[in-house]
Amino acid sequence: MHLSFKHIAAFLVTDKNKGSRLLSYFGLGIGVLLLLCSIQMYININNLLQNKSARSDGYDYISVTKTITNDNMSEDHSFTPAELQELKTLPGIDDATPLIGNKFLIKASGGDAFPFSADMFLESIDEKFIDTVPPTFTWKEGQDLVPMILSSDYLELYNSVFAPSRDLPQVSQSMISSVMIQLEFYGPNGSQKFRGNVVAVSDRINSVLVPTNLLAWANQKFGNSTNANPARIFLKTKDANNPQLLNFLQQKNYGVNKDKTKFGRVKQVLQAIVSGLAGFGVLVILLAMLLFSFYLQLMIARSKDNLQLLLTIGYSPKWLSKTVSKRWIPVYVGIVVVALLVCAGLHWGFQHFVMNDRTALSPFIHWSVVVTALVLLLLSIWVNYRLVKKSLYSL
Amino acid sequence: MQIKLQAVKPTFLEPGKIDRSQLWNQLVGFESGQRVQVVAPSGSGKTSFVHFLYGLRKDYTGSILYDGKDISQFNAEDFSGWRQQKVSVVFQDMRLFMQQTVMENLEIKRILSPYHKESRITDMATRLGIGNKLDKKCGTCSYGEQQRIAIIRSLQQPFDFLLLDEPFSHLDEQNRSIAMQLIEEEATERKAAIILADLKPIEYFKPEITLFL
Repeated sequence: MHLSFKHIAAFLVTDKNKGSRLLSYFGLGIGVLLLLCSIQMYININNLLQNKSARSDGYDYISVTKTITNDNMSEDHSFTPAELQELKTLPGIDDATPLIGNKFLIKASGGDAFPFSADMFLESIDEKFIDTVPPTFTWKEGQDLVPMILSSDYLELYNSVFAPSRDLPQVSQSMISSVMIQLEFYGPNGSQKFRGNVVAVSDRINSVLVPTNLLAWANQKFGNSTNANPARIFLKTKDANNPQLLNFLQQKNYGVNKDKTKFGRVKQVLQAIVSGLAGFGVLVILLAMLLFSFYLQLMIARSKDNLQLLLTIGYSPKWLSKTVSKRWIPVYVGIVVVALLVCAGLHWGFQHFVMNDRTALSPFIHWSVVVTALVLLLLSIWVNYRLVKKSLYSL
Repeated sequence: MQIKLQAVKPTFLEPGKIDRSQLWNQLVGFESGQRVQVVAPSGSGKTSFVHFLYGLRKDYTGSILYDGKDISQFNAEDFSGWRQQKVSVVFQDMRLFMQQTVMENLEIKRILSPYHKESRITDMATRLGIGNKLDKKCGTCSYGEQQRIAIIRSLQQPFDFLLLDEPFSHLDEQNRSIAMQLIEEEATERKAAIILADLKPIEYFKPEITLFL
């Protein structure tokens, strides 16, 4: 015959302290719900505040400079090789490379089509970091044609401010490659003229880029500085809003291009709030389990005489422990399942009504939330069993 | 099946009583199917003897062996199996669930290691004159009725040894005889031994061994 709890139910005093039992169920449900929702919100915040622009190929590229303050204005703000290496080895940083600038003077003029003349600058960077590198972006010594990659922000500035103010023609992205500008490189060691041609437009790098070998050659030939250290470093990272990265940069007094990291502080604060809620949820769960353990111990104490007699007439303490503790498994399952469903409902509502079905968020809860619920359930059952077993074996 | 006592001495008993005893500090063995009577006045350790054999107490020196295994080495699970299948008992103080009915008291024991069907309980209760008490709470029954309930409970399982500690102290002669007859039938059916401890010999119990404590 298969014995179950119903056979011994009449011998246990379970109906007393119903109030504390129900309160512990309620507390457990609230605690589990808080914890699951906190985990889901943490994941939501990560997904919503991650930069996923089309050209980023899954990475963020941020430029880092040393912050210039009133106190350090006269100091050297370039990055030493050691500082570059330190940035490269930061957790979360996939790569780092310097942006090398010209160490000589450059004058640019537009010729008859674009009657302007201005000083300008040029920079170069490892091509791996450039988002668009056409095959024409090459140079060899002796070549007078200088291919350039222009920042899309600079083109926009030219079209919206520079051109109208000087009555110059505006240029589209597709037409800019047909524009030839005159470049003159000059320094203490002489000067040379070149023709400059924009071969591509970059959304990623805010600069005017030329091939690395050209700038290295020109810096050596025309350059007036012995300092080879770069003033800007470009970082490649999966998440520009990584709080550890931002904290490090802040400690070192490094500045970053704010548009990439604008969500960083917001993300940090939100995640801190959500983590706090999760911690509170864990506390509520612990308190509820403590209350329930008191109820169990009281029940066993009140039923002590009957339990002892059951053991005396031959009932197995192992069977009694399992059977008594199994009695509450449906309750635990019910509480956790309900909490999980409510969490799923709240998340769906958030994604649908608040975020308007934004694709950055899945309408379904994350698998880690389900796993957490399962772990909590198993933990509750195990703690419950251990407590009952300990109480029974001590009779 | 055999129970062997090897120089068993209660730790609380005066040396004088131990010296005079035919059981304490002796080599004594009981076999299945035997009838054993242990006779002793109050305070000589009859109940302790039953409790030692049942594994309820360990305040003794020496060894109690069941088929060569020392029962003092049994853990809680071992004792549970032992009490389900090998040894049954009628306690001097009955030890019933007072808030439960007579039927519940008997059924909670029967379902643990069923030897009889539920209907047999009714037959036995009727035979012992408490057939009309089955749905009454044990706490409302007289001592004599409770004793008969305890006897019926002890007969609901398989056993090799049936331990009886003053099982008829609250019964009149007629009920004693009827109860003894039922016990004999059940023990014979199982080829089990009866070990009966009482203040004086029971006239309708024919033991092969009589031991004075």
